[in-house]
Amino acid sequence: MAKRLAADALLLTAALIIFIVEARIPPIVPVPGVKLGLANIITVYAIWRVGPRDAFLILIARVILGSIFTGQMMAFLYSLGGGLLCFAAMLLVRKILTEKQIWIASVIGALFHNIGQTLVAVAVFRTVNVAYYFPVLLLSGLVTGLFTGIAAQALIRRMRGKIEP
Amino acid sequence: MNREGEKNTLKAAIKPLKTGVWAALFAVLAAVCVFAIVWMNAGTGTVAEIVRDGEVIRRIDLSRVTAKETFTVGDGEGGYNVIEVEPGRIRVLDADCPDRVCVRTGWLSKSRIPILCVPHRLMIRITDADGAADAVAY
Repeated sequence: MAKRLAADALLLTAALIIFIVEARIPPIVPVPGVKLGLANIITVYAIWRVGPRDAFLILIARVILGSIFTGQMMAFLYSLGGGLLCFAAMLLVRKILTEKQIWIASVIGALFHNIGQTLVAVAVFRTVNVAYYFPVLLLSGLVTGLFTGIAAQALIRRMRGKIEP
Repeated sequence: MNREGEKNTLKAAIKPLKTGVWAALFAVLAAVCVFAIVWMNAGTGTVAEIVRDGEVIRRIDLSRVTAKETFTVGDGEGGYNVIEVEPGRIRVLDADCPDRVCVRTGWLSKSRIPILCVPHRLMIRITDADGAADAVAY
């Protein structure tokens, strides 16, 4: 129990640091909603190594604390909407992915994060026109999801036998 | 059938796809997105609508604009965006939002993809409808 708590706390801390550092980097491409999403590396790792229940708690805590620490409360809804859909999608595909295909979950997660973001944007802006950004977001999601997926895959490989309660 | 047997049939029913199949699916999706973006960029509208919090606060027919003009929207505390209009195009010239993505987006003339300022819930979109658009930004 104590070991599991320590593992979860460590993963949450890592996710928060990554999230806050990334938020301080100016956007590389000037497209609203596009970012690398590096904190998802920790979500992927947590789903596979500490289990979905703890991974979910780590994700929710990171989204809430991340919004508070970066001071961008407007971003909270987008993070939450995207994060929840991303998490649900990754859980669903987990069953049909092998240990070497974990990066695929990250790509699918990124795409569903884009769906969540777009839905939140339509609700916040009260117009469907913002959805014209959806294909742009999907294209970026494919690239960033691949990047974070490869990173998560490498992390899982290198951390074998370490943070695993 | 016992539990173990059920589990095995379930596993057989949802076989892991080969990595190549996933890669092909992602490639198809990427191609569809590229086509969608090309289509969206080829809009035909000339009327710019400035929408804040879901309400159209100004409409400008860009085809009837003759001179460069700038004006500011907002700041009853929710932040401001300075908007610049030229014949045929519009952009956010300056803003006090944290990421300034709206400014970096640059000019909008035909594209269906709007300029967004997410922190200020401001959108500039191009529409076909011409209704009661202002010829000039006042």
